[in-house]
Amino acid sequence: MDLSRRRFLQAAVLTAAAAGATAACGGGTGESGSKDSKNLKFWYWAGGLSDKVVADAEKQFSDVSLKTSVIGGDFKTKLLTGMKTAQTAPDITGIKGEDIASFLPNAGRFLDLNSLGMDKLAPEYLSWKLKQATTQDGKLIGFPIDIGPCAMYYREDLFAKAGLPTDPAKVSSELSTWDAYFEAGVELHKAVPKTFLVNNIGAVFSMAVGQGTSRYIDADNKFIGDQDHIRTAWTTAVKPYTLGIDAKINDNTWNAAIGNGTLGTEIGAAWHALDISNAAPGTKGKWRVASLPSGPSNLGGSFLCLPSTCANPEKAFEIIKWILSPENQARGFTDAALFPTAPAAYELPALTGGDAFFGGQKTIEIFGPAAEKIPAAYEAPADAAVSAAYFNELTNVEAKGKDPETAWKDAVSQAKQIAQRQGVK
Amino acid sequence: MSSSPVAGPAATGPSSGPATGPSGQPAPDRHRGPGRPGRRIRPVSAGGRRGPRRGIARYFPQYLAVSPYYLIFSVFMLFPMLYTVYLAFQKWDGIGEMQFVGLQQFRFLWDDPVFWLSLRNTVVIWVLSTVPMLFMALVLAVLVNSVRRFTAFYRVALFIPSITSLVAIAIFFGAIFSNNFGLINAILQSMHLSAVPWLSNEWTIKLVIAALMTWQWTGYNAIIYLAGLQAIPSELYEAAKMDGAGPVRIFFSITIPMLRPIILFTVVVSTVTGLQSFTEPQVLFGSDASTNPNSGGPGQAGLTTLLYFYHQAFDNNDFGYAAAIVWAFFLLILLIVTINWRLVQRKERRP
Repeated sequence: MDLSRRRFLQAAVLTAAAAGATAACGGGTGESGSKDSKNLKFWYWAGGLSDKVVADAEKQFSDVSLKTSVIGGDFKTKLLTGMKTAQTAPDITGIKGEDIASFLPNAGRFLDLNSLGMDKLAPEYLSWKLKQATTQDGKLIGFPIDIGPCAMYYREDLFAKAGLPTDPAKVSSELSTWDAYFEAGVELHKAVPKTFLVNNIGAVFSMAVGQGTSRYIDADNKFIGDQDHIRTAWTTAVKPYTLGIDAKINDNTWNAAIGNGTLGTEIGAAWHALDISNAAPGTKGKWRVASLPSGPSNLGGSFLCLPSTCANPEKAFEIIKWILSPENQARGFTDAALFPTAPAAYELPALTGGDAFFGGQKTIEIFGPAAEKIPAAYEAPADAAVSAAYFNELTNVEAKGKDPETAWKDAVSQAKQIAQRQGVK
Repeated sequence: MSSSPVAGPAATGPSSGPATGPSGQPAPDRHRGPGRPGRRIRPVSAGGRRGPRRGIARYFPQYLAVSPYYLIFSVFMLFPMLYTVYLAFQKWDGIGEMQFVGLQQFRFLWDDPVFWLSLRNTVVIWVLSTVPMLFMALVLAVLVNSVRRFTAFYRVALFIPSITSLVAIAIFFGAIFSNNFGLINAILQSMHLSAVPWLSNEWTIKLVIAALMTWQWTGYNAIIYLAGLQAIPSELYEAAKMDGAGPVRIFFSITIPMLRPIILFTVVVSTVTGLQSFTEPQVLFGSDASTNPNSGGPGQAGLTTLLYFYHQAFDNNDFGYAAAIVWAFFLLILLIVTINWRLVQRKERRP
């Protein structure tokens, strides 16, 4: 008995030691892997790039071994964790559009792409998009993968029923302001009672803010979320609610609503087309795209960045330059609905073709000009955090029937608190 | 009777001793029972009396054998916990420089209406889930205890919800309670009742989350109660029946008092876990949205304190503030557990 127990303990100790040794070895290989300039670790998320283009990049740059990882879950958190040490950090990484601003205060943790040759390429890419990844002292930390030019998707058949214009060009010119768009919504709702104009008023607010040249915080790090431009966007957003043309969808029922005609229009970015066609394949051919009322806006669009610990900056830059060349961006549009950041790609057949889901409409005629006219606005690191207060209060208006005026005051006071916590003056 | 060891460690006070007393001649038995192992241990430790260091050396293999747990505990639990104390006094975005800000994060916390809202939400959801959960668990346990056939089947059936993936359950509940196209609203409408906007009303949101937690943990608690029930000597029931007590009287005068230590245990455990609801609202209300993620649903009615903590830490990257939130929350849980403990224990002394 005694002996066997001792032996059992010995075995347990050996196992523990072996496990420890394995773990140590695991750490060891990681260490040597990242310092080797022949091995480049490449992180992105599913759908963040065209997988085919990435696979071709591995073949194209056969002199280095590109170790791609498609990271699932919360990408930003995993990147923050990964960048804690040089050994675990990727050499090339994607950063989502909504997160890029929060990385700018730590631009020193990334390489300046301008010094690697991006300054010469810059004119080929949309300048307002490059500005989102540029620090105030002119360092560029991200190579733009895609953008989200916004448009108004509408159901042609329902518009026809309500006696509204159906031709995209005509819809774009007649519903050219928010007010004209809401008026059309009232008519649509009258003609087809179960159909509403917008899914929720937060969507309208986010578009309206994006149409301006300033947001919640200015370049001097001062809170401006209580000023007229945000107030106007708020008033615009509340209108469909008071007019009764807001579907007030704030849960997972959007998928069903988009398919059964509850939603007559949908305002969203170019990539939103994929959401609609996935959620409502049965409505194929019934949708069209028109310009966003009151001017273009942008929602989302990611970047490729090189952490400062990158083992081989020149090679890494060459790789992302190749992956995001206009030709490959056009492939990205076909494979993953990534709208190109290089206007040269808008002329390529992948984008100029008609889209069967939109009844053969050439959607680039709407998105292309919108993409080039999107206003450049300073987006502060705390922008996304501060904006949450407005969206929460707009949802309160929809869900609880909260008075819009009270909701505005609460939103501003909460936004101020968040801004203060985030170090905004 | 064979399951009495289960009740043994859970029995917190000497109450279980006197309670078993009336059956037979307890006095000599008790000395032989719990007294013996104690005496047997003493001579062993007396061998190591010469010095504590020798004791450690002598039991080195044993210490080594239990060490993996403590190592993992200190690396993944203790260190992060202590680190959050440090973090609560810093301003930190996750990769940049830390900046010492003193008690500023706690001042922010005091003034933040959303934090207080999240506390209210958490406590309401906890009460809505724990009270019916423990009550139903007790009833289920008594029922299963009185059944003679298929007992294994019932036990497994009770336990299955607690080992089912929480995310899967949340998605399922989300589909059932969906406002416009959910199963429950479809049934209501087929009975010509008006549909309830389950996932947009302030109170029904909490109800749905509480229902989810109740569904998942009732069976687990029932199994614990069942173990406790089987430890109650059958003589007590026989004696009560001889004295003419009905099933209700037996339940309240024998079952409940005898189960008190077990009830205390489940109350404490469900307080600690019930207050930490996080995944339920996170999955139910579009946590992956790019604008305004983890807001806790319409009116922030499903924003529990842990979800708010997660939002501050991982959406806003305000790690210092997030640390302050969890520490304030820890103190609250401690307070509630203490109150619970006092309440249930005082009742125990009364009879």
